Amino acid sequence: MKRPLRIHNLGGAKALILHRPHPTVQALTRQLTAIGLNVEQIWPCLDASALGADFVFFDADMGHDDQFPWSPGASPMPMIALIGSEAPGRIEWSLEAGAHAQMLKPVGDNGAYATLLVARAAFDAQAALSDEIAGLRRRLGERQTVIRAVTLLAARGETEAEAYDRLRQMAMAWRITLEEAAARVVAAGKDTNVPRHG
Amino acid sequence: MKRRVALGLLYSRSGSYALIGEACRAGALSAIAQINADPESHLIFEPVERDPAGNIDLYAPLCAEILQTTAQHVIGCVTSWSRKEVIPVLEKLGGTLWYSVPYEGFEASDHVVYTHACPNQHLLPLLDWAIPAHGRRAYLTGSNYIWGWEMNRLARDIVQTAGGQILGERYLPIGSTDVSRMIEEIRASRPDFILNSLIGPSSYEFMAAYRALGVQDKAFHPSRCPVLSCNVTEAELPALGDCAEGLIAAGPYFRGQQGWPGGTFGSSHEAATFVAVRELARLLARRPQAKGLADLLSGACDIIDPDTHHTELPVLIARVEQGSFRVLQHRGTLAGDPYLTRPRARTAPQLRVVQ
Repeated sequence: MKRPLRIHNLGGAKALILHRPHPTVQALTRQLTAIGLNVEQIWPCLDASALGADFVFFDADMGHDDQFPWSPGASPMPMIALIGSEAPGRIEWSLEAGAHAQMLKPVGDNGAYATLLVARAAFDAQAALSDEIAGLRRRLGERQTVIRAVTLLAARGETEAEAYDRLRQMAMAWRITLEEAAARVVAAGKDTNVPRHG
Repeated sequence: MKRRVALGLLYSRSGSYALIGEACRAGALSAIAQINADPESHLIFEPVERDPAGNIDLYAPLCAEILQTTAQHVIGCVTSWSRKEVIPVLEKLGGTLWYSVPYEGFEASDHVVYTHACPNQHLLPLLDWAIPAHGRRAYLTGSNYIWGWEMNRLARDIVQTAGGQILGERYLPIGSTDVSRMIEEIRASRPDFILNSLIGPSSYEFMAAYRALGVQDKAFHPSRCPVLSCNVTEAELPALGDCAEGLIAAGPYFRGQQGWPGGTFGSSHEAATFVAVRELARLLARRPQAKGLADLLSGACDIIDPDTHHTELPVLIARVEQGSFRVLQHRGTLAGDPYLTRPRARTAPQLRVVQ
C-alpha cells in the first residue's frame, strides 16, 4: 500500500523533550529547530499543558509512567523514545508507554527528521486502525439487532434473504448504517408499523 | 603578521561532473587570491587540495586526509552522494564542509554550510513559473540517485497539487547515455514541459536527443515544450552547445547579473563558492579562537541562518538564448527552507533583486 507521507505540517509544530538537561537534548533541539519545530525541554514530569504538543520525545532510560498526564499507550500525539540502554526491560517499558518510534542516544547530527516522519505515520496508522476496530466492534455488538429486524421483516411473508435485502435498501435510503436501520425497525414495532422506504 | 589558515579543497577535476567541480574550484581560488592579496585582511588561506576524480569512494578518505592537517574547513563536493559520504568524517574529526551547489534539501547538518539553493529557492519557483506559462502536464527525468529522486518526488507533489499530471518519470544511472527510451516516452506522451534532473553526460546526451526531436516535430520545440533544470548553469553550456538553446533554469545568479557580492562570475557555482570562502574569512577574522562551526557562527551571522546553515539567495528564472542565459524573471530573495516547513513567501514576480 502506498501511503503518502504527511510532511508539510511540521513547520511551527511543538516538540517536548522529556529528558534531564544533557548534550543529547542540545543535539536534538538543534536538529528539531533546523527542521522548523518549536522545542521545549522538560524534566521530570509533563503537566497538562503537554496535551497541546505535537510530538513528545521521552527518556527511555530514566522514564516511568507517572511522568505523563495520560494513561500508558494513550498519548494524544506521537511519542519517540530516546534509548540509551538497550536493556529489554527498558524497551518493554517504552513500548508500553506508547513509543511510535525511537532514537538511540547519544543523538548526533541527524536522524530527527526521519524519526518525526516515522512516528507521525505510525501514530496516524494506529489511530486509523483504532477507529476502524471501534466501528467494527460496535457493529458486531449490533448483530443481535440485525437478526431481530430481519426476523420481523421476514414474518410478513418474505424469505430471510428478501428481508435482509429490504433492510439494506432501507439503510441506503435513510443514509444510515445497516445496524442503525435494524435498530429503527426493531424500535418501530413488531409488525405493521415498519416504515417502508420510498 | 597575518594568520595562515589551511583551507581544504575537495573537488573532482575529472569524471562525469568535472565541469561543475572546476567552476566551484575557480570561485574558491578567486576568493582565496583576493583575500590573500588584500592588505586589510588578517589571514592568508593556504589551500590543501585533494581530487577524488569522480570516484565516490575517495571522498571520505580524502576529506579525512585534509582534516588531519591543520585544516578545519573544507570547500567541496558536487553530488549529494559525495556530501553524505563526507559528513560522518566531518563529525568524527570536527570539520566543516562548505557546500556550494544546488541540492535537494532535507538536510541541515551541524557540520555543513549550504551556500547554493535548495528546493524552495529553485524547484518551487521554477514550477510556479512554468505551470502558468506552459501547462500542467509534466515529464520527469533524473539521474539515479538522491538528487533526481527527491527533485522528482517534489515535482510530482507540486504538479499533482496544481491539478496537473505526471506523464512519465524515468532515471538513468550516473554516466549512462541511454536516453532513447525517455525520448520515445516524451514523443508519445506529448507533455507541456520536461524537468531534467540528469547530471553530466546523461544530461548532455538527453538535451542533444531532445533537440533532434524538436527539429523533427515542432510540438517539441523549446518554445512549446521547454526543458527545465535546477542544476544546469553556464559551467555546462560549453558541453551542451546548441542543444541548450531554450532551456529554462532557476538559480541564484546568472552570468553578468549585477549585485552579487564580489562582482561578476562565470556561473552560480563559481559565485556561490566565492561567497562561501569570503564569508568563512569574515567569520574567522571575527572569531579567530572559535571551536567548531556553531561557535564560529554565534553572534556573527550575516548571510548564514544559524538554525539551518542555509543562506538567503536571489531567485532568478532564466532561459538559454544564443549561448547564454537571459533572465526572464526576478522572484525576489528567499531564505533557504531545507525542510519546506516555513510558510512560503509569495514573492511578487517582478520584484527586483536588492543587495
